Amino acid sequence: MTESINAGTNNTIVLEADKLTKRYEDGVLALDELSFTIKSSEIYAMLGANGAGKTTTINLFLNFIEPTSGEARVMGIVTHKEPLLAKEKLAFVSENVMLYQNFTAIQNLDYFAKLGGKKNYTRDDYRNVLLRVGLQEEAHNKRLKGFSKGMRQKCGIAIAILKDAPAILLDEPTSGLDPKAGYEFIQLLDNLRSEGKSILMSTHDIFRAREIADTVGIMNQGKLVMQAGRDELTDKDLEQLYMKYMAGHMEAAA
Amino acid sequence: MLKLIIFKELREIILSTKFAATFGVCSLLIIMAFYTGIKNYQSSVQEYNASKAALFSQFETAKDWREVPRLTVFLPPNPLASLVMGISNDIGRAAVIYDSGYQAFRDSVYSVNPVFAVFRFLDLEFIFLIVLSLFAILFAFDAINGEKERGTLRLSFANSMPRATYIFGKITGSFLALALPLLIPVMTGLLLLPLMEVPLSVNEWIRLLIFIICGLLYLGVFLTLSVFISSITKRSSSSFLFLLIIWVCSVLIIPRAAVLLSGNLITVPSTSKIYYQRVQMQMNNIQELLKRANEQINKIAQEMAASGDTSPEAQKRYTDKMSEVYKNLQEENDKKISAYISRLHEERYNKQKQQERLALGISRISPATVFTLAATGLCGTSLELRNNYEEKVLTYSGIYSDFISGKQSQPAQDNIVKETVNPREIPDFYYQPKGFSDILKDALPDITILLVFNIILFCGAFIAFLRYDLR
Ligand SMILES: Nc1ncnc2c1ncn2[C@@H]1O[C@H](COP(=O)(O)OP(=O)(O)OP(=O)(O)O)[C@@H](O)[C@H]1O
Ligand SMILES: [Mg+2]
Repeated sequence: MTESINAGTNNTIVLEADKLTKRYEDGVLALDELSFTIKSSEIYAMLGANGAGKTTTINLFLNFIEPTSGEARVMGIVTHKEPLLAKEKLAFVSENVMLYQNFTAIQNLDYFAKLGGKKNYTRDDYRNVLLRVGLQEEAHNKRLKGFSKGMRQKCGIAIAILKDAPAILLDEPTSGLDPKAGYEFIQLLDNLRSEGKSILMSTHDIFRAREIADTVGIMNQGKLVMQAGRDELTDKDLEQLYMKYMAGHMEAAA
Repeated sequence: MLKLIIFKELREIILSTKFAATFGVCSLLIIMAFYTGIKNYQSSVQEYNASKAALFSQFETAKDWREVPRLTVFLPPNPLASLVMGISNDIGRAAVIYDSGYQAFRDSVYSVNPVFAVFRFLDLEFIFLIVLSLFAILFAFDAINGEKERGTLRLSFANSMPRATYIFGKITGSFLALALPLLIPVMTGLLLLPLMEVPLSVNEWIRLLIFIICGLLYLGVFLTLSVFISSITKRSSSSFLFLLIIWVCSVLIIPRAAVLLSGNLITVPSTSKIYYQRVQMQMNNIQELLKRANEQINKIAQEMAASGDTSPEAQKRYTDKMSEVYKNLQEENDKKISAYISRLHEERYNKQKQQERLALGISRISPATVFTLAATGLCGTSLELRNNYEEKVLTYSGIYSDFISGKQSQPAQDNIVKETVNPREIPDFYYQPKGFSDILKDALPDITILLVFNIILFCGAFIAFLRYDLR
C-alpha cells in the first residue's frame, strides 16, 4: 500500500453526481436531479430516511443500474458509459456483505484484492490491513462461517482499503459494528482521508456523520434537501436540522 | 481475471463441507459400481463356461450324431455390459437351435434371479445418471442468486470485471471442481479392470472412455442448467425447487411417460389379435373355397356324364382330376393366408419399430435418456443387442443345421464299436458385436444431442447473466 494514489493531490473533484435521476420500472422516482461533488481528501455523508435514495445513488456510481437521466462521474469518467474504467477508481463497502463463507479472512482478502487488480500483496499486507480495521489476529485464518456481522463488516472494509482506489463508496458501513469498532472506524476514515481518498458514505448515524464528514447532505425522496460543510455544522445542531428537514418534508408530502 | 475466477470457484466448492461429504459418498458408489460390475462379469464368465461344458458333456454321451440333444448357444459375457447393463439382463442368454431356426431366448439374469428384477442392479450408468446430475444441481443451484444473496456479486462487480468473464469463469470453474474430483474414483475403477483381470480390447477401452466423456457431458448439462436457472430466479431456494422438479421429470418421468405416450399414439397389434385375424380369414375363405370347388367339380361331373365313358380308367381319371382341383384350391388358399399373415406380422413389426422410434424420440428431450442411450449404445447393451443377437443366432442356426445334416447323412458305422460324438467339431458360435465404427456411428447422434444441450444451456446461462440485475 505504499504506492497510494493521491488523487490529483489536492481538491480535484473525484466523485460527481450531475442531475442524477432514477425512475424505476415500476414508476418510483428514487432520485430526482441529484447533484453534488466530492473532492479528494473529502468525506461526504449522505443522511436520509429509509427509501430516501441513498443506496440508489451508490448503485448508480457502480453502474449496477443505469440512470434515467443525468450522470454519475468518477474522476471525470461517466460511470454508465465506461463502467469498467470507472470501477477501477472505485472501492465499495456494502451493507451486510456475507463474503465467501468457506474462505478464511485472508483468502477472501486475497481474492478480492486480485479482482481489484492488486496482485502483489503479501500475507503481511493482509495481516496489517486486518489489524488496521480491528480484526484480531486469531481470526485471520478462520473461515468466515463463524464470523459475527461486525467481523465480516471489518473484512469488507479491509477489502475496500486494499483496492487502494481514489474513491470509496460506503453503504451504511457502521451497521453491525459495536461502539468501540464504530469509533475505530471513524479513525480509519480519517486516516484514509489524509491519504487523499474521496469518500461517499450513506449512514443513519448523524453523530458520527457530523464528527467525521467534511460535508453532510440530507436526502429526502430522491432530493438533496440540505447540504452543509463542517464549518457550518459546528454552529448548527445537526440533529435538529435533520429532524426539521425530515419533518418539513413529511408534512409537505402529506 | 478469468483464471482468478475459475480458481476461486474451484476452491470455494472443494473447500466446502458439503463437498467433502457428497464427494465421499459419490466416490464410494462409483468404485462400488466398478467392483460389483467386475464381480458380476467374473461370475457370468464362470456360468457361461459351466453351461457350455455341461452341454458338451451331454453331447459326449451320445453314440452317434443322430442322437445328439438339441444344441443351445449362449450369449458370451461382455465386460462392458457389467458396467453399463442396459437390456443385457432382461434378454435371455441361451437360445436353443433347431433346423435353421431357434427357440425363444431363455434364462435372462432377471428370470433366473427375480429379486434383481425388482431392485435392478446398481451399475455405473445408473450411478452416473443419478449422482452426476444431483451433484451438479447440489453445487450450482445457487451459483448466481446465491452470490447475490451473500452480497459477493455486488462486491465482485464493484471491480472492473466484464460480466462475460465472470459467468464464463464461474461455469468453467464449477465444472472443473465437480469433474476433476469425480475422475479420481473413475480412474480407480478403471484401474480395477486390469487388476482384476478383466480382458478389455483396445476398442472396448476406447468405448469406455467415450462413455466417461458422455458422463462429463451429462454433468455439464445439469451444471449449465443449474447456472441458467439460478440466474433467472430471484432466490436460491426457488431455483433449488425448480431444479429438483426438472430432475425428477427428466430422470424419472419423461423416459416412462414417453413409452406410455407413444404406446397410446401408435397401437401395435398383439400377436393374439393376429392369430384371431388368421382364424377369421380361414373361416371367410372356407365359404368361397367350397363354392368354387363345387363349381369346378360340377363341371368335371358334367364333362364325365357327357363323355359317356364309364370305364374304371376313366373314372379314376376324373376322380384324380377332382382331387387335383381340391389340392390346387387348398394350396392357393394356404398361400393367400400365409401372405396375409406375413403382411400382418410385417405391419406389426413396422408399427413396433415406429412406436419404439417415437418413444425414444420423445424421451430424448430428457438429457438423462440421451445419456442412457449413448451409454448403452457404446457398451453394446442397447436395444440393438437383442436384434443383433437374434440375427447372429439365426445365421448360426443355418450353419449348424448344415453341419449336423452333413454328420447325420454319413452312414452309420455299426462295425466300429465306439464312435463317440466329439462336440468340439461343432462350429463355434461367436457372438460378434457390432463393429467399432458402427457403434460410434450409432452413438454419435446422442453424443451430439448431449453436446447441443450443453451449448444451448451454456448460452442460456450466459445471456441470462448478461441481463442479470446485480443489485
Ligand atoms: N428495484 C427497485 N424497483 C423499484 N423501486 C425501487 C427499487 N429499489 C429501490 N426502489 C425504491 O427507490 C427508493 C429509494 O430506495 P433506496 O434503496 O435507494 O433507499 P435508501 O435511502 O438506501 O434506504 P435505506 O435507508 O432503507 O437503505 C425507495 O422508494 C425504494 O422503494
Ligand atoms: Mg440503502
